[in-house]
Amino acid sequence: MMTMQNPMTEIATSKKAGDTLLSVRNLKKHFPIKDGVLQSTVGHVKAVDDVSFDIRRGETVGLVGESGCGKTTLSQCVAGLMEPTSGEVLFDTGRGGTLGPEDRIDRMSGKQKAKYRRNVQMVFQDNFASLNPRNLVVDIVGRPLRVHGEASGGLLTERVVELLEQVGLGRQHLYRYPHQFSGGQRQRISIARALALDPDLIVLDEPTSALDVSVQAQILNLLGDLQQQRHLAYLFVTHDLSVVRHMADRTVTMYLGRVVEHGPTETIFRDAQHPYTKALLAAKPDLDDDPDAPIATLEGTIPDPARPPKACRFHTRCPVATPDCGWEVDDIVRLLESDDTLFERLSGVSRKSELEAELAFETEEAACKLWEVLRSDRVPEAMREATEILDVKGSKLNVRFRDSDEIGLRALGSGHEAACVHAGRLS
Amino acid sequence: MTQIDTPAKPLDPLRHDTAFTVRLRRYREISGTILSNPTTVIGLFFIIALLCMAIFAPLLAPPNVPDPYQMPRDWGAVRSPPGTPGHPLGTTNQGGDVLYGVIWGSRTSLQLSLIVVSVTVVIGVCIGSLAGLVGGWLDEALMRVVDIFLSIPELIFALAVAAILGPSFTNIILSLCIVFWVKYARIMRAQIILIRQADYVQAARVIGDTRFNIFRRDILPNAITPIAVQATLDMGNIVLVGATLSFIGLSESGIAEWGVLVSEGQAGIASGRWWASTFPGLMIFIWALAFNLVGDGLRDALDPKTEDKR
Ligand SMILES: Nc1ncnc2c1ncn2[C@@H]1O[C@H](COP(=O)(O)OP(=O)(O)OP(=O)(O)O)[C@@H](O)[C@H]1O
Ligand code: SF4
Ligand SMILES: [Mg+2]
Repeated sequence: MMTMQNPMTEIATSKKAGDTLLSVRNLKKHFPIKDGVLQSTVGHVKAVDDVSFDIRRGETVGLVGESGCGKTTLSQCVAGLMEPTSGEVLFDTGRGGTLGPEDRIDRMSGKQKAKYRRNVQMVFQDNFASLNPRNLVVDIVGRPLRVHGEASGGLLTERVVELLEQVGLGRQHLYRYPHQFSGGQRQRISIARALALDPDLIVLDEPTSALDVSVQAQILNLLGDLQQQRHLAYLFVTHDLSVVRHMADRTVTMYLGRVVEHGPTETIFRDAQHPYTKALLAAKPDLDDDPDAPIATLEGTIPDPARPPKACRFHTRCPVATPDCGWEVDDIVRLLESDDTLFERLSGVSRKSELEAELAFETEEAACKLWEVLRSDRVPEAMREATEILDVKGSKLNVRFRDSDEIGLRALGSGHEAACVHAGRLS
Repeated sequence: MTQIDTPAKPLDPLRHDTAFTVRLRRYREISGTILSNPTTVIGLFFIIALLCMAIFAPLLAPPNVPDPYQMPRDWGAVRSPPGTPGHPLGTTNQGGDVLYGVIWGSRTSLQLSLIVVSVTVVIGVCIGSLAGLVGGWLDEALMRVVDIFLSIPELIFALAVAAILGPSFTNIILSLCIVFWVKYARIMRAQIILIRQADYVQAARVIGDTRFNIFRRDILPNAITPIAVQATLDMGNIVLVGATLSFIGLSESGIAEWGVLVSEGQAGIASGRWWASTFPGLMIFIWALAFNLVGDGLRDALDPKTEDKR
């Protein structure tokens, strides 16, 4: 049974396991790229681009993906540290009923907003940077209580001792500075601070990535124990799939600002449908994969999030891509960028659309060379198949790709969704 | 409960700490580091000596009436060399006692540097914080002003301002205040922009603390170290620049101020009367050197890269 620290904050009717606690809907966060003396905006880094998912009371949602896919940006939007460009984050502050526009964290009334602030806490990756080096542990852990006027003086100290004991520290650590602790202990202090206001949700942004493996396990166990005792929900951000498997009830895989797969952790690990998730799983050596499954590995670099690939953003690296996965002129641009010998004679690109362009070269020879490359196995077969027009006129190369539809998440039953043309068909 | 990983430093269970003893120990640790550098200690020694001189000036040299900051005149002993009875460091052309000028000059210098440093630190910290916290066009505008100020050498700028304001010691103080805040604004802004992004500031926001409290408790205390270092260096530099302005003649003649004394005494050097400008000149040198030694020592000791991971 859960133990509530502060019965005042409990609203019995609205705290049932399985109710949606937080809902992220069509969230976008685009960072402007400024350039030049006038600092004009020349583009946007689409760090998070149309992401939706829910977190239910008491559950752990694991958020995985490679570095730079937008995990931190997303978790900071959830924790209210960043204003989304568009879309919404809804949070159940115990208003009752289903989540609605009044529950948007950026439109809440003052009282609701204060409840949101108390009930969503965060633990950061860098255990040293997340504690003010000039404050004592008693001040760091006691600060939320002081800010919200819950305790002061001797009572505050006692509450801090209680919190420290819950994370495996104690009274003897009250009057110490952060630098006097080990990394694991500092992360415990961060966790104690996050627990102080008895929140419903803790956002954990790679909480163990900076720690030694043996210490990682201890912190994960602590988080597990606390979740049981306090009925916490976690948004657990990590790039470590074994951690997700250990911790998460549901897993969200992100790639270049998008959710590409989403479902119960067990299903994802048993029956991943998106080639990107499969590649992540395959890259993890200590998992007991099915030996017969084709092993897909991640190759190539992550495309620039300011110019994400069309349709399926993974098509530039996908081992099983089809002609319908979003081939476009940018794929040729990316090819040219990765090969200087082709790029150097290029004199101009005039695009008619994202699918059609005329590439002008200095010599006919150079145009023919690119033509040959585009018909060779240096480009994926799917890309060749998707090429509708490819011809050279003088020193100009004309190219047009077949159009393809946006590839959204497809429901695969029992809460499993994947954004891939093969989803549900390939196993 | 799971087993705890080994602590970074062994804990002594018998030690009963309170916030007070722990803070005290930390300050002792930090001052230990600062004092482990011999040049800092030498500088500190001179600073203490100079401060004592300024504080106890009325005991060391009985104040001149009516205004102790004016040089006393002994018309019976004009241009006496050092060692003359009653005038151990000699006298000036007007019969001013050089020792009196040296002693009371330390008071003048302390006033000058303290006033200018405190005024400029306050102005600089406020403007730098405003620029760093508000950002946008206000930041742009303020930083353009700072750039313009920084493009003119300090001495030339102060000289121009003092010349416009007219020759007086007060105007020297004023002109130095106008010139010296700029560096603090620039340092403060850079610090704020850095610290604003720190995870512990984000953590304070998640807790729901107010912007003002975050500024006061997280940003300011962590931003202030380089300001303190610069202020120590400026305690020396300001006396140097102030004396230079006095030397050029932008102060009042006859006051007990080292720059003025050097200026008024330099004409006699050619005729062998070296003492009237050499002793005050030496004082300026010692003052500037002492604060620069300590300032450099502080910079090394408080370097954020070493400070917290000791
Ligand atoms: N303040 C910002 N301004 C501009 N671009 C940003 C900003 N913050 C993040 N980005 C960009 O947004 C993208 C996503 O960054 P984010 O930090 O969310 O990724 P991440 O998944 O957390 O990566 P990591 O695993 O490295 O922590 C990156 O391309 C990053 O460069
Ligand atoms: S839709 Fe599926 S097959 Fe096509 S590129 Fe994307 S992941 Fe690969
Ligand atoms: Mg991150």
